[in-house]
Amino acid sequence: MKRLFGLWVLFFALSCLVVPAASQAAEVAQGKVIAVDAAAKTLTIEEFDTNISHENPYGRPTGITSVYRTEGALVGIPPEPGDVVRIAYETKGSERIAIRVMNVSKQDLRGK
Amino acid sequence: MDWLYLHMPIAGMDIFWPGLVLIGFAVGVIGGFFGMGGAWMVTPGLNILGFPMAFAIGTDIAHIAGKSMVSTMRHSKFGNVDYKLGIVMLVGTMVGIECGAQIVMFLERIGRVGSVVRWVYVVFLALIAFMVFYDYFKAVQKKRAGIVEGEKGTEGITWYKTLHKIRIPPMMHFKAAGFTCSAWLPIMVSFATGVLAGFLGIGGGLLRMPALVYLVGCPTHIAVGTDLFEVMVSGLYGAFTYSLKGRIELVAVFVMLTGAAIGAQIGTVATKYSKGYGIRVAFGCAVVACMVSIILKQYKYNAAAAVIILGAIGIICAYIMAVMFKGAAQELREKKAREQAQASF
Amino acid sequence: MKRWMRRVLGAAGLLPVAAPSLVWAAGGKASQLVVVADTRVIQNAALKYFADLYNTNIWLFAVWAVVLTAVYGCFLGLLMDFIMARTGLDLKSRKIVEH
Repeated sequence: MKRLFGLWVLFFALSCLVVPAASQAAEVAQGKVIAVDAAAKTLTIEEFDTNISHENPYGRPTGITSVYRTEGALVGIPPEPGDVVRIAYETKGSERIAIRVMNVSKQDLRGK
Repeated sequence: MDWLYLHMPIAGMDIFWPGLVLIGFAVGVIGGFFGMGGAWMVTPGLNILGFPMAFAIGTDIAHIAGKSMVSTMRHSKFGNVDYKLGIVMLVGTMVGIECGAQIVMFLERIGRVGSVVRWVYVVFLALIAFMVFYDYFKAVQKKRAGIVEGEKGTEGITWYKTLHKIRIPPMMHFKAAGFTCSAWLPIMVSFATGVLAGFLGIGGGLLRMPALVYLVGCPTHIAVGTDLFEVMVSGLYGAFTYSLKGRIELVAVFVMLTGAAIGAQIGTVATKYSKGYGIRVAFGCAVVACMVSIILKQYKYNAAAAVIILGAIGIICAYIMAVMFKGAAQELREKKAREQAQASF
Repeated sequence: MKRWMRRVLGAAGLLPVAAPSLVWAAGGKASQLVVVADTRVIQNAALKYFADLYNTNIWLFAVWAVVLTAVYGCFLGLLMDFIMARTGLDLKSRKIVEH
């Protein structure tokens, strides 16, 4: 039994390594939604930095705006202009393709 | 005071880590000492420390998986498992866990998971407290010393005889357990406990053990082994499904596991030296304290809730540790004296 | 008394099944919650790897989570047995204790 169990663990560990560590490191951005284009499936945000404080619980605005394609992304509570979102994305060429979109301000985990 | 807070990379919050260590350790000590789950304090405890409810459940169930590996290592041969029964029940357990997890995710979507799970926990803990106090008073009445768990299955309850008469195919014979019944009976039992385990993030042994004995008709020793097997499977499957749903915090799992492994040693050793039933009352009080702190959390008295739950489990841990260290010191002293006496001959 | 207790126990088992339907009756809008791990603020390389995996490949993350938990559990079990064997206490007479 012990050996069988060991084999299972080994098998799992191996399959973990074999499954190519294909996770191309995604980047994460957080910011305030400026525009949502449902037709083009894009999301424009003004990025925030990581300086979190009492006045700026989601970070301070940096003034940089960027556009994300949300087609095929896992999107939580639908973002609306003014919401703070966190986006995991990959850069393909000059486009930023969103993988997961979290509506930070609306789902505020702490309250759950 | 920043160093007291550990950043949780996924849920993205800073958690008071000594609280995390204490919860893990307390689960080990209390679980090891009383021989019945300590997992009931983990989900509420994590929630009170600031984890969102779904994360608390996922993290709890993953930590059960790790902990059951520890105990599986200890009885590596699984002594008394009816594997056929175990595998049949596996179906029900896994489907049940998935249902429980889906209910949690559904409640999360509609934004009610926190309050619903908290209230279910309050009922659940009230039940445990009732059972503990009931056992205690019964024992006091009979003035009988000894361990309560040993009594299970000795009473003449034969509900399972009736249930065995239900002949819905497929009928199955379980050799090690020594009975024949419809496969649906163990499946339904394991399904119900699976739902509860997946929903509350517990091992489910508290419910599965008596169900195996009274409803399925397992001999007690087979029930213990098979339950252990189910706890491991349900923990592993629960960990998997909750990670897949993204509701697990691995850092917390590891911190708690480490605490639990150390605590479990202290708890199990302490059972050797503890006498009397008084400690059971302390356990019941800890359950009640946990219940009270959940209610406080529900009404947003977060600090008070944290103080009560951490204080209660801290005190009971300290007591068990005192029992263990005193007893162990005594044993080692006696051993040394014996050796010296032998050497002088 | 004991029988009554078991009935209560059974009812508690039904509670998680009954609760959602009660909530459903109360109504509420359903929207899936998605969590994105904020890898911008994680310094530790291993934590960053897992947080990133969480964002990009949740299946692999889940496999890792189960494997690591299981392996770490086994490791702790062995380590504790090793340590306890060296304390000189008689542990053979202790009863089997689980959960």
